Amino acid sequence: MFHQILLQIFQKLNNERTISAAYHVLRGKRSGQTIQDIGLFQLHNYFGLLPKLPRKTFDEAVSTFLQYSWLIMQESGHYSMKKLGLQRADQTSDFLFDGWHYRGNEHVFFARFSLIVQSLSYQSAGVRTFSPISRDTAIQSWVRTFLVEHNYQDGHIQQRLLEECERVLAVLPLSEANKQLVLYRLSGHSLPGWTWQQLASERKETVLDCQLAFIELLHTLLNEVHQTNDYPLLGEVAEGLRVKALLTDSAQQTAHLYEQGYSIEQIVQIRKLKQSTIEDHLVELAMNEPNFSIGPFVSYEEAEKVWQASKHYQTKKLKTLHEVVEGMSYFQLRLVLAKGEV
Amino acid sequence: MELEQTLAKYFGYTTFRPGQKEVIEAIFEEKDVIALLPTGMGKSLCYQLPGYILQKPVLIVSPLLSLMQDQVEELKRFGEKRVVALNSFLTVSEKRYVLHFLEQYRFIFTSPEMLLQQQVQDKLSQMQLGLIVVDEAHCISQWGFDFRPDYLRIGQWFSQVNRPPVLALSATATNKVVNDIRDTLSLDTPFEFLYNVDRPNIHLGRVVFEDKADKVHWILQHVKETAGPGILYMSSRKRAEQYSEALIQAGIRTAAYHAGYGAEDRQFIQQQFIDGELDWIVATNAFGMGINKPDIRQVIHETMPANVENYMQELGRAGRDGQPALAILLYSDGDEELAKFVVTGDLPTAGHVDRYQELLNQQVHPSQMLKNGELSETAFRVLDYWLQQETMEQVKVRLNHLALEKYRAVDKMYKMTQTKDCIRKQLVGYFGQKLLKKPENCCENCGIHYDEINKVRLKEEKKIEMIPWESRLKQLLLGC
Ligand SMILES: [Zn+2]
Repeated sequence: MFHQILLQIFQKLNNERTISAAYHVLRGKRSGQTIQDIGLFQLHNYFGLLPKLPRKTFDEAVSTFLQYSWLIMQESGHYSMKKLGLQRADQTSDFLFDGWHYRGNEHVFFARFSLIVQSLSYQSAGVRTFSPISRDTAIQSWVRTFLVEHNYQDGHIQQRLLEECERVLAVLPLSEANKQLVLYRLSGHSLPGWTWQQLASERKETVLDCQLAFIELLHTLLNEVHQTNDYPLLGEVAEGLRVKALLTDSAQQTAHLYEQGYSIEQIVQIRKLKQSTIEDHLVELAMNEPNFSIGPFVSYEEAEKVWQASKHYQTKKLKTLHEVVEGMSYFQLRLVLAKGEV
Repeated sequence: MELEQTLAKYFGYTTFRPGQKEVIEAIFEEKDVIALLPTGMGKSLCYQLPGYILQKPVLIVSPLLSLMQDQVEELKRFGEKRVVALNSFLTVSEKRYVLHFLEQYRFIFTSPEMLLQQQVQDKLSQMQLGLIVVDEAHCISQWGFDFRPDYLRIGQWFSQVNRPPVLALSATATNKVVNDIRDTLSLDTPFEFLYNVDRPNIHLGRVVFEDKADKVHWILQHVKETAGPGILYMSSRKRAEQYSEALIQAGIRTAAYHAGYGAEDRQFIQQQFIDGELDWIVATNAFGMGINKPDIRQVIHETMPANVENYMQELGRAGRDGQPALAILLYSDGDEELAKFVVTGDLPTAGHVDRYQELLNQQVHPSQMLKNGELSETAFRVLDYWLQQETMEQVKVRLNHLALEKYRAVDKMYKMTQTKDCIRKQLVGYFGQKLLKKPENCCENCGIHYDEINKVRLKEEKKIEMIPWESRLKQLLLGC
């Protein structure tokens, strides 16, 4: 699964970035460049799937690709995909990740959920003491409040939660094996969970692939829960975990000033940041904010020229576009690309 | 009978375990106490129970964050709400809150590092404490193996404050270490409780190999033929994984355990072991802290541990139920060299001392060494402490001593692998105690009939199979 995901990212990056760009996407790097790449190349789903991915693991996968002649490397760190690699990428399955909207929060969801299930399991068994699976005090106090609010001691919540989980898992378009996988990361009274190692050897795949299947299921489940109002309990457990503000904190501040009517030059002075940084923020805003208009910076005719050139030359490389579309700054080009064709 | 009543009321036990009552009574007589009790023998009850009788907070200084967390959880399980861990995990605002209400807690756990902060000391000096507990007190001793320099500074703090009785707790300590504890904490003619080191129901086997390959073969054969549950201690994470893999291939329900796995995975393995889903754990010395499984029948050391203290602590995890158990120490030529290599691998060297100074000269904070991964955290702590007290030359001499001391400890452990005398007598003697009576099947040298202790492994142990998600969900939530 990891290899397939990586191939898909390389394919989408369209040979226009270094291989490290893919690494930053998977780690969820919150830099202007990575955030822009996400928008330009439509990589939202993959963003921040593996915040702790070791560089070594990534590099090993890349050298496998080189070995298979799926891609070749240039000295600059850029790569180009070979025919074989593109074919392989086309054969990969479509995954249902939604990294952009969860950014690791799926693990918060699961930590809450595991502790709820563990508490209820011990409660059903009539055993009062156990070692909580999550040591995180924030998670513990969240779960305590949740259980108390639902009068867990009268024993009805088990049935309701069971019913919701059965229903939501049944509708998810994922394999039975992956649903089973997630259930074995839970533990309860006399029902220990399974380690990643144990699951990987049972499923005959790598630990990393198991973990990715787990994340994919959680993203899918969270989206289902958020999109409908059909799961009141799970909806509570998932509360506040879908990222609404899609901007980096610093970009948020710039956006705030911009909306108040300050010009770029004024914002530069107020925030004591470089003009290029403020421009980065506006590009980020253009990418994320449907109501943001690039009108004050670029005319419609100019934007259209850029779109046509991009299509004609099959590229989103700024340098190329800068050469072929005359009289436009890099900032303007980036805004147009970020906004996408209307 | 007030003590027994309190015991029953708050903890649900009817009787004390050996040593607990003596220690608690001494505390109520306002005496300082040094108590050496093995883990799993109710060490923490010695301060938990006084917490309910003394109407003042109990301060527990604990060097390991994970251990502290375990103890906090344990008290919470008994229904105690007035318990707090004042440690570096707290956010600034949480810490402010905790400090503000500190006198309202019954049990305050904290780390040596925290205790040295001015605001913490200020707050504590305004409070009336009922008891100060120094857990894992052997960390005080520079002869110990988990030396924590910050503990030395606590000793200095103790001598300044008008303090309540101090209870120093440890699982393993030699006479030398006990002396260090007494001096460093400036304890006032303390009451000392030393449990009997000997565990008569654990039979002490030893097998010597000419060839390392024979050892591998022996382990696989032994585990295949004899019954668990057992722990197989290894010298490295990699080895633990390799052996675990080999045993799984041989159809034995096994898992590897070391600090490299995530917290959930470690808990899953512990629970599988306790619930009887696993027969063997192949572990580094990270396994065992806080695990409570009474029916462990075998503890095997694939190679010698770094010192006799560790060995006793690890083998002591067998047979807590009092039923016969077996500890086997394996030895092949050169194992002591490996052990020496491992123990000093964690020490700072003369080179690190120079480097520390070089960074200081460049106006760089020396902790940069730690960030660069030039040495371990423990090593840096030791280095940092001494270089603030002494000159570079003195520190180099000191580090040399420390390395020699560690070598000497390995040598003493090595003696246990070689002695022709009764191994039990040697081990007990190491801790300054006399062996009063030898049990049947005492040790390798007195003679063991292994077949009288080991049960034959039953072949029908079933591997646990995965069940469909719907059924697992029902089991988890409804218990059926
Ligand atoms: Zn003997």
